[in-house]
Amino acid sequence: MTTIIVLAILAALILFAINVYNRIITLENRYQNAWSQIDVQLKRRADLVPNLVETVKGYAAHEQEVFDNVGKARAAMAGAKNVDQWAEAANMMTAALGRLFAISEAYPELKANENFRVLQEELSSIENKIAYARQFYNDAVLQFNTVITTVPGVFFAGPMGKTKHVYLEVPEPDKELPTVSFGAATA
Amino acid sequence: MTTAPKGGSRLPDAITDPVTGRRISLLDWKATNLRASWLLGLVMVVLLGGLGWLIGFAIDPGLAGVVVVIAVVFALGQTAAAYWASDTMVLSVAGARPATQDEHRYLVNVSEAVAIGAGVPTPRVYVIDNPAPNAFATGRDPKHGTIAVTTGLMEILDRQELEAVVAHEIAHIRNYDIRFMSMLAATVGAIVLLRDVALRSMRFGGVARRRGGGSSGGGRGQIIAIVALVVLLVLAPLLAMALRMAVSRRREYLADATGAYITRNPEGLARALEKLRDFRGPPMQVSEGVAHMFFTNPALKRNANGWFATHPPLQDRINRLRRM
Repeated sequence: MTTIIVLAILAALILFAINVYNRIITLENRYQNAWSQIDVQLKRRADLVPNLVETVKGYAAHEQEVFDNVGKARAAMAGAKNVDQWAEAANMMTAALGRLFAISEAYPELKANENFRVLQEELSSIENKIAYARQFYNDAVLQFNTVITTVPGVFFAGPMGKTKHVYLEVPEPDKELPTVSFGAATA
Repeated sequence: MTTAPKGGSRLPDAITDPVTGRRISLLDWKATNLRASWLLGLVMVVLLGGLGWLIGFAIDPGLAGVVVVIAVVFALGQTAAAYWASDTMVLSVAGARPATQDEHRYLVNVSEAVAIGAGVPTPRVYVIDNPAPNAFATGRDPKHGTIAVTTGLMEILDRQELEAVVAHEIAHIRNYDIRFMSMLAATVGAIVLLRDVALRSMRFGGVARRRGGGSSGGGRGQIIAIVALVVLLVLAPLLAMALRMAVSRRREYLADATGAYITRNPEGLARALEKLRDFRGPPMQVSEGVAHMFFTNPALKRNANGWFATHPPLQDRINRLRRM
């Protein structure tokens, strides 16, 4: 009888441990997937940028500074060696493209160009997707960090070699949501 | 790199259940729906089997076994059809056609973006050529997720509002509301159908008994069965429909909250709902059977907030979003 009870408790403990272990791995995979989602969007953006620059040059060739900024951002993206540099380069590109689209307002013929319109929609929607991907990434990291720093996950994180992961900062002008207050007092 | 999650963390990831007053975690809602879907399938088989037995027994005790088998097979068939075919069915009933990258680039991009934010695969996107603004989602799980929006919706909403509506629909998919609701719809449909079949066959059975001159007239058990059956057959469909609508209304609030959480922008959804509330064009003509799937009830005037309303009143949904 005692043996059975001991075995039952042991089995329950093992099942519980498997459950916690799987949860940690699942959450880790989730934020890693979210990361690759950001990467996919950044690559798509990088592929469209030369095309955009060519199109804009056809109408506004003398806006050299803007093209230089885009070029610098591209070079920084290609040369990024760690996450910090990489994130900085991605933000540089976002800012450079933002300025490029801002100056395009002054060229009605450019704005009427069908190719430019498609590129503009594609690039601004990629910006949007990057913002959403970052948000999901941060959500996933938050979940992961919560699980490995609270009971019972905290007992597993050490032996599994898992540590808290870092969030991705979003530069202020990147997210063009309206500044509506949702009633911060009640939140 | 920083240590704080970016803006929006002040939005709640749990909401208060409008029915029971309990807190519901938006993240756990999926598990609840998955469990409930299984349970519902089981209930459907048992219920229809039981009703089938009663019907069989009331007509002729010897037939009871046969009718049970027929009813159970029928229930399983309905469940299977609801599980695998409800998306194809509802898309064709609504007259939806696939959106193309060229024609609806904007909508496809918005859907992709919101799906990334929700952490689900990009849904298939459909368009309904109709001036009335509306949308719905279908598909038994996120891998088979499909959303459809009307051309009227795309016309009156700006990008943030469209994102909000798409997020509401993707929330239905991510929460497995679709699977649960189509199973529930199938159960209710089967009960109603069974009632109609039973009423017809009882009339037929009654005639047959009279012809038999009462010699084979069943005993007291059979009479009790008939009475129980009549009560059940009148009450069950009404209860089932009221239950279905209550379940549907609750899921609309939850999808609103989840959608607001995905976009971090409850105001966008509130504004979209306001535009739909103030829309003064002709309403969309859709069959009763799929009305509950839409973003707002296509027949706005009917059953605005009664027991049989599929959706909560628009103003109530807007108020809840503004309070977030």
